Amino acid sequence: MTWLLKSLPLLVLAAAVQASVLTLQSPRYTITSPTATHPRSEPVSLVEKPATPVVLGPADTLKLSFQVVEKDDGKGVQPHQTFLRFYDESTGEEGIQPIRVTSGGKAKFELNMARPPASLPPTSPTSPPLKVSLLLGSFAHSPAKFDLFELSIPASQPVAQHPDEASFHLLPEIQHTFRPEQKLPPRPVSAFFAALVLTPWVVLIGLCATIQPTVPHLFSPRILPFTTLLGAFEALLLWYWVDLKIGQVLMYGGVLAVLTATAGKQALGTTGAWRTGSK
Amino acid sequence: MAGPKTSTAATSKSSPAASPSAVQSLWQAYTDTTPSRLKLIDAFLVFLMLSGVMQFVYCILVTNFPFNAFLAGFGSCVGQFVLTASLRMQVNPENKVEFKEVSPERAFADFALGSIVLHFFVFNFLG
Repeated sequence: MTWLLKSLPLLVLAAAVQASVLTLQSPRYTITSPTATHPRSEPVSLVEKPATPVVLGPADTLKLSFQVVEKDDGKGVQPHQTFLRFYDESTGEEGIQPIRVTSGGKAKFELNMARPPASLPPTSPTSPPLKVSLLLGSFAHSPAKFDLFELSIPASQPVAQHPDEASFHLLPEIQHTFRPEQKLPPRPVSAFFAALVLTPWVVLIGLCATIQPTVPHLFSPRILPFTTLLGAFEALLLWYWVDLKIGQVLMYGGVLAVLTATAGKQALGTTGAWRTGSK
Repeated sequence: MAGPKTSTAATSKSSPAASPSAVQSLWQAYTDTTPSRLKLIDAFLVFLMLSGVMQFVYCILVTNFPFNAFLAGFGSCVGQFVLTASLRMQVNPENKVEFKEVSPERAFADFALGSIVLHFFVFNFLG
């Protein structure tokens, strides 16, 4: 019944796109065991799940046979892909086994537990039975999946750990060690060296006192604007240091520069004339 | 920088044994023959040199913690020294032959402009 419900969208799709649907004809499994006298043969129901899982011993052989046909007319089909899937629900491990199908759609598969194929997933003694399903893929038909039965097989060797597995675990948090904050030296040291750095001013004042330079024309109306504008420039730069932004200082500086240039031309022209004229 | 800088009229070459008197006579010649304006510039140069040395000593001995401040201060001393030394070179009357096309007024204007630009960059860097 569940199979019918599952294939309903497929049927609708089939009606809509006229793609054919595949089904299995007379699927059957046989278990041969060296201990038992007769081989046990059972048909596989596509409609309802079997009550008990199929159990295989270490030396048993499971033979599976079926024919792939089109649902509508029963014609044999050789699908492009036929896979048998063994799935362990508890660990999520699965194994895929391709099955060879004849051009008429007939297929046979043998699983010998004495020589198990590499596609079988690993099992532990506590794991649930493997879910065995058949996957069909065909270019001319809708894809099909049939759950066949559940299979209990003997436990395998434990899974070998992948050499790279350790790199997929959570790594320890990265600890950063930052350079310690730079500290200012203690205040007495700072004060002493501040005084030391200011001693050259004392030297300068002393030297100026010794030289006693004369500035005879400092307050002359031709010289004074130039010197005051130069002082204003320095004041502007000090103001920039404490408060102004670059755009403002460049603007004020531009204005001051024009004024200083004209004042300077006048002042230095005058001093030049004094130098060449009087001397 | 060695040639036009000092205006010594007579440098007496004396033997190493009499070197104190050579220094003394050098100093005497300097004070006698140098104009007072050049002496003023020389005083400023000495001041700048001492300032730079003191800042450097602090940086070596204690800390260079606000490194930009040290660079700004030291750079201002060095830059101003260079500008003042070039002003002294160009203004010295004994170097008139070498600086024919540069009048002392032009030299001072260059000095003022260069100083203002230097101060602007120093204040930018001082932080």
